[in-house]
Amino acid sequence: MRHLSQATRELLRAHGPRYNSPRYDRRQILGLAGAAAAAAALRFDVAPAQAQGEPVKLGVVAIRAGIAAPVGAAGLRATEWWAERVNKAGGILGRPVQLVVEEESNPKDTVERYRKLVLQDKVEAVLGGISTGVTLALGPVAEDLATPWLSWDGTTQKGVEETMPNPKWAFKSVDNEVEAIVAGILTPKYFKGIKTVAGIGNDYSYGHDCWQSYQAVLKRYVPDVKFVLELFPKLGVTDFTSHIAAIQQSKADLLMCSFWSGDATIIMKQAAAVGLFKTMKGVFTTAGGVHDSLKKEFTPEGLLLGYNTMYFDDPKGGPLLKQFVREYKAKHNEYPPYECDHAFFNAESYKAAVEKAARGGRQWPEKAAVVKALEGLEVESLSGRRSWREDHVQMCNFYQGITTHKNSYDFVTISPVEVVSTKQAMKPAGAKLFDWINGWKI
Amino acid sequence: MSQHVVNVLLSGVFHASILFLVAAGLQVIFGVQKIFNLACGSFYALGAYVGVSAVGWYTAAGGPPALFIVPLALAGLAVGAVGLVVERGLLSFVYERDETFQLLLTFAVVLMMEDAIRLTWGAAPRSTAGLYLVYGQTHLLGATVPVYNLIVIAASLAIAVAIGWLLTRTTFGRIVRATADNREMAAALGVDLRRVYAKVFTLGTALGTLGGALVIPATATMSEMGIELIVEAFAVVVIGGLGSMRGAFVGALVVGILRSIAISTYPELEMLLIYLIVIAVLVLRPRGLFGGAAV
Repeated sequence: MRHLSQATRELLRAHGPRYNSPRYDRRQILGLAGAAAAAAALRFDVAPAQAQGEPVKLGVVAIRAGIAAPVGAAGLRATEWWAERVNKAGGILGRPVQLVVEEESNPKDTVERYRKLVLQDKVEAVLGGISTGVTLALGPVAEDLATPWLSWDGTTQKGVEETMPNPKWAFKSVDNEVEAIVAGILTPKYFKGIKTVAGIGNDYSYGHDCWQSYQAVLKRYVPDVKFVLELFPKLGVTDFTSHIAAIQQSKADLLMCSFWSGDATIIMKQAAAVGLFKTMKGVFTTAGGVHDSLKKEFTPEGLLLGYNTMYFDDPKGGPLLKQFVREYKAKHNEYPPYECDHAFFNAESYKAAVEKAARGGRQWPEKAAVVKALEGLEVESLSGRRSWREDHVQMCNFYQGITTHKNSYDFVTISPVEVVSTKQAMKPAGAKLFDWINGWKI
Repeated sequence: MSQHVVNVLLSGVFHASILFLVAAGLQVIFGVQKIFNLACGSFYALGAYVGVSAVGWYTAAGGPPALFIVPLALAGLAVGAVGLVVERGLLSFVYERDETFQLLLTFAVVLMMEDAIRLTWGAAPRSTAGLYLVYGQTHLLGATVPVYNLIVIAASLAIAVAIGWLLTRTTFGRIVRATADNREMAAALGVDLRRVYAKVFTLGTALGTLGGALVIPATATMSEMGIELIVEAFAVVVIGGLGSMRGAFVGALVVGILRSIAISTYPELEMLLIYLIVIAVLVLRPRGLFGGAAV
């Protein structure tokens, strides 16, 4: 691969002014990572593709700084893996994929970079977007610029309500609160006799929405359950000892936690230090995002742990997942988190939509035809079959289960693995969340 | 009930111990150099990251787990040398300029340090795995207390005493206090301000990096961890009095314990309560509880 990169970099320079300069900034280097694979294909594997035209440029917006940087990095790595794989197989309609990577930061700057991707870099589509604060702003811009945008993990929800029910160009992630709903469904199955629950989540929309949704669902299954404490520390807090003292004092039967970053690791460690889970059950809806930091030394067995839409160690996982996990581990020395699956699905579904819209020909389809082809499209992703709902929301499975130490890793995994579809756990298009939950027949 | 009181108080004091080390670094630098060092939080984060790496190497080399605190503390102290680089390489050029320049420069260090940390250690959180629990737990009035928390509290207290001794009982301390009181007079009497500034800034930095290293077994590194602490350190220095070490000690205790009580009673008021006290101090006693005292 190293040998190919040098050769391919020379080839890429021939594709335009972007690669003419020998000096690369960080963005270009990351862009090159994906593009290098494209050129590798050009030179060594699918020479005819070069003759058929320029590489197809796909924009990627990825968080690379701050708390969500590991999530953004995972999405970007998976997209690069996908690009390499596609290019080795001949590209999309014979055109190799070239990724143009931009930073996802605050809404204002990200919108400007998004515009640059579409107007200046002239990308065919934009992939990515994690923070709903950012993607709420990107949605209308995507509509305005009339270029397909497929969001990894960001929605256009305000709280739990959809703000763009009928988009044309914007394709969005699953609703933010789905993993809390799944946890609410599974809690009474694994933790019988729960009467009191304490909750802790980050002090922003996701944390609050998850807590409200979890309460609404659990109340349907256990009508007399009491919610005795709610804590919402700010993102970035690294000392939860005072929060844990408050949780101990609440004497709740169960703690629900929607942390998804390093804070999940920290609270687990600090809770273990005072033996919190010796007397209390635990539900960690999203901590699977940092699964390999949940070491056995401080993460007990018997907790309900959510892995969002991909469980790297799924015993029923297909060959694609196994290959990805193996290669990801070899390259990055860690096991892939769920964001990889969102990113892979976005890119793979875009490819499938282009091929579907081309109707077996080699002519590159119009963007409008591609978004039409995306609606309802189902493809094989890392976690299995995933699809786009007609209103442009991802449909997939959620993986949660009970933590176990019986594995060959130094961190916990889950067994049994529960798989819950968004068909069951996500509100239907146009529905109001709490009306929908309250209407369940249980 | 007593169990809960112990939990709340000890968690508050534990938080205060870390806050004290960072705020003490802030205070000693401000007291002598009159620079409000926004980068104190970044030094704290740097100490945490270096601490994780040091413990990682120590563990990989087969060092006994019970002694991990030795390489941890040594790494935290050693990386304080970065203060010398920042002081000589950057700050020494702006001493004669307006305070705004100095503030902006230390803010630039915050941003640069964040990128440098990300480039070196990556964006993923890092931790020292289960070493936090190596020393086990003890029981106090029915409450389970991690022994490591007690070690951090004791270390912080020992450092407070050591700094007090350093500043009041040694020649270096007398020179530092003289410089803090009147730098022109000190210079006229033959004090080499360049050396004093370099030493003081390095000391202030080492307090922050040591704080970061000591806390890391109980938590995990996150790129924003420094910023979060700066906000609280501000409250500590305003309450305690800018430039005062005793102020840093008392201010850290006030903020740490109040925060803990607020989280246990009215969690929504956590920051509001602390900053209400900050406002009260600013209005009623603008110099802080120990303001005006020379370092």
